Amino acid sequence: MSTMKTTRDVKGVGVSIPRPDGPEKVTGRVQYVADIQAKGLLHAKLLRSPHAHAKILSIDVTAAKALPGVRAVLTAKDIPHLKKKAPTRAHAVLAIDRVVFMGQPVAAVAADELSIAEEALDLIKVEYQVLAASIDPLKAMLPGAPPVADAGTEADTSEALAHSAVAIAKSEAPAKAVNISQQARLQRGDPAKGFAESDHVLEKTYRVPMVHQGYLEAHAVLAEWDRNGLLTLWASTQGSFNTRSEVADVLGIPENRIRVIPVECGGGFGGKIRALCEPITAVLAQVTKRPVRYVMTRREELQAGMPAPQVIIKLKTGVKRDGTLMALDAETVIDSGAYSGAVLAVSAVFLGSMYKWPSFDVRGFEVLTHKPSVAAYRAPVAPQTIFAIESHMEQIARDLDLDSVEFRMRHLIQEGDPMVNGQPWQSNGAKQVLARIAEHPHWKSRKQWVAAAGKNGKRRGVGLALGGWLGGLQPTGATVRLNPDGTLAVLTGQVDIAGTNISLAQIAASAYGVDTDLVRITTGDTDVAPMTGLSAGSKTIYTVGAAVLQAAEDARRQTFEIAAAELEASIHDLELTDGKITVRGMPDKGITLATIGKKGNLYMSKTPPVLGKANPAFTQQAPGFAAQLARLEVDADTGEVTIQDFVIVQDVGKAINPLGVEGQMQGGAVQSLGIALTEGLMFDDTGRLTNPSLLDYRKLTAADLPNLETIIVEVPAPAGPFGARGVGEPPIIPAPAAIANAIQNATGARLTELPMSPERIALALVNGKH
Amino acid sequence: MAKQVLSCTVNGEAVEVLVQPYVTLLDALREDMGLTGPKEGCGTGDCGACTVHVDGKVVASCLMLAMQVRGRKVRTIEGLAAADTTLHPLQDAFVRLGVPQCGFCIPGVLMAAAALLEENPRPSEEEIRYGIAGNLCRCTGYTKMVAAISEAAGTLASQRSAR
Repeated sequence: MSTMKTTRDVKGVGVSIPRPDGPEKVTGRVQYVADIQAKGLLHAKLLRSPHAHAKILSIDVTAAKALPGVRAVLTAKDIPHLKKKAPTRAHAVLAIDRVVFMGQPVAAVAADELSIAEEALDLIKVEYQVLAASIDPLKAMLPGAPPVADAGTEADTSEALAHSAVAIAKSEAPAKAVNISQQARLQRGDPAKGFAESDHVLEKTYRVPMVHQGYLEAHAVLAEWDRNGLLTLWASTQGSFNTRSEVADVLGIPENRIRVIPVECGGGFGGKIRALCEPITAVLAQVTKRPVRYVMTRREELQAGMPAPQVIIKLKTGVKRDGTLMALDAETVIDSGAYSGAVLAVSAVFLGSMYKWPSFDVRGFEVLTHKPSVAAYRAPVAPQTIFAIESHMEQIARDLDLDSVEFRMRHLIQEGDPMVNGQPWQSNGAKQVLARIAEHPHWKSRKQWVAAAGKNGKRRGVGLALGGWLGGLQPTGATVRLNPDGTLAVLTGQVDIAGTNISLAQIAASAYGVDTDLVRITTGDTDVAPMTGLSAGSKTIYTVGAAVLQAAEDARRQTFEIAAAELEASIHDLELTDGKITVRGMPDKGITLATIGKKGNLYMSKTPPVLGKANPAFTQQAPGFAAQLARLEVDADTGEVTIQDFVIVQDVGKAINPLGVEGQMQGGAVQSLGIALTEGLMFDDTGRLTNPSLLDYRKLTAADLPNLETIIVEVPAPAGPFGARGVGEPPIIPAPAAIANAIQNATGARLTELPMSPERIALALVNGKH
Repeated sequence: MAKQVLSCTVNGEAVEVLVQPYVTLLDALREDMGLTGPKEGCGTGDCGACTVHVDGKVVASCLMLAMQVRGRKVRTIEGLAAADTTLHPLQDAFVRLGVPQCGFCIPGVLMAAAALLEENPRPSEEEIRYGIAGNLCRCTGYTKMVAAISEAAGTLASQRSAR
């Protein structure tokens, strides 16, 4: 069934409509996990390892158990079904005999009050034998490095699957390199020959530290078992069905004995896809037979959450003097922390095939270190990858005195061009986005603007970058019911974080043929909702939107069949206007939606209730591209950067709800700017995080930023609902490269390590004599 | 430790509750008074999600002991809308301009903005940005937030001149 539709003449798709739950959000009435009141609630705390790598010699919980108000103290030996070789972070509920990162849970407490649980932690005595740790991923790759995983632990590729990145061939790790958990290599043509024939060879290494997703609500979960052995989890999750599967797997119980209720989620950005604290909280609730809540502290989030990986990209390119691309050689090292689970494919695709390199050798390694294991962060590995390739492309253009937009445009892929793995690029708006940003007055006037810098010692620069995301996929379901009063009820399991439900309602409205205010959408829990995928990977509107569209069309067809029978007319002669179905040309001969809805709910009625359903599992991805432009000033003495103007151009296919689309573009851009300028989890040589607070882990505030200009481009996605593409990931991708390019424009210095802090910029200016 | 009696005014109503002397104002509001609008985002005064007013001034309620508000007036997000539940112009503008995404920072941002507008009824864009600089938001990028605060300032000004 095609989902590429023109909109019906109703208040639906394409209109800016504020989310209907807005008043609940602005009055503080919305309930997050930590806000739920439960009778007999216990509070959980976890004792965490103070070492990055150590053997646990003994744990003594006697004193903690004796503390009044303590209801349970658990260590790994109290949970016999734990797997010794934890394949994922979720399985590492409590350390068994070895800790592999600082902050790893070692013991768990449930107590009547949080302060009692905290006190109990102090009474647990753990004896450790500290072991040598692998902290630097480049050293961890070398033979003889301290091993992180137990021998025989399998690599976890489910994150790559969850994000539906393209498949890339896997190759075996060298036997002696103990900490390489995944690797891949893709080649085309003859790079050696390409480099030999190049006039210009550029080699640089780009470094991006681990960054935290930074959701304001820390991980939180409330667990309760009933007397029939059914577990209910009130979870802050990006995917309730995924949480259910992971918890069932870790606890070894059937999925139909777990009900996950997705509570309002205070931000996820990829960090709340995988289970983290849910299994241990469930075990504490099982042992105590009481509801138990666990809320991570911010310090725990930063020290032992699931951040984005550290990424090191060594990039070498060869081009002819006129800018003809010849060869690319790239090696990406992704530091996955203590457990496997990073995405390799994104880096390979965008390094090797965003531009048409005739020959390449692209290698990717996932390396384990004694640091917190990583997870997705909005467009996993894309901002890091684009930082490398888009900094590099700018540098090449600069070195060869080429117009950097023309140079990019000449080599940029379009639909049908092969990706690194040989699969064709799907329809996308990369060229349109790049062309649109190059038309912006800030780009056209860049030379004048830079030249007009004042005499305050600040240098001006303008830079841009292009970035993309392949687009996520996941099978999903939705139902659309006609209520007895003619309104519509849409049900999915989609966790609405950013306001996606209003867009889904708009899709249902346009597909069925009523105004959006007649549609109410409900996010059901795992007991009642149709199986629905993650709120991740820029695929809610693209996939769940398609399911809702098809379910609404199914409901419309059923409604029209009933109307046709009632009106004794052909279904093809009917039209729906203002809640009434009439025979075309006979406005008096009609039946209202309310009448049809009522008939479906009348005692002894022969009319079936309208129940549209759809459960598509389509396979065509819809890449989304965004370009960003920054005008900034650099204080040459202090290295401080002030962003004066920032423009985001993005191809969204079709803006279902422009208000929500703008919010995604602006929010993603600021996260991207944070990666560029201020953020980074900094570990010392022993694996200790040196900036475990929001004072030291610096996120951008309103005072750091200008207003962000948004320009929406619409290149319809062939399979997207009304042509829509995913919107969430593309805006977090280009800023690090755009800012680096602007800083070079301002100062001549090429920054290759993030964040581009004042210290790094000032040092680059001093060392480079710029 | 024995609980102590805390008498204060919360959202215009006289309140008397028993609290542990060591609990923060944030915990007392959330756990002892059932006002879960103020959020804990960090517990160290860095994120602003717990922002409330004490005697009209902005405070990070996670950094203040509950007993410090004895005899004082506390206002939380629950007390920002009118008694008849009509939204405050700030709240109304936040909804219409599509500010809230995950929403976790919103109660704190609104309280910071409300205090700003009481002190400075017609702030410039820069003054708005500095007024909410103590509040971290990870979803919105602040642009719509600043626009909503600016619009609400205009609404409040015209309401004042109409009176």
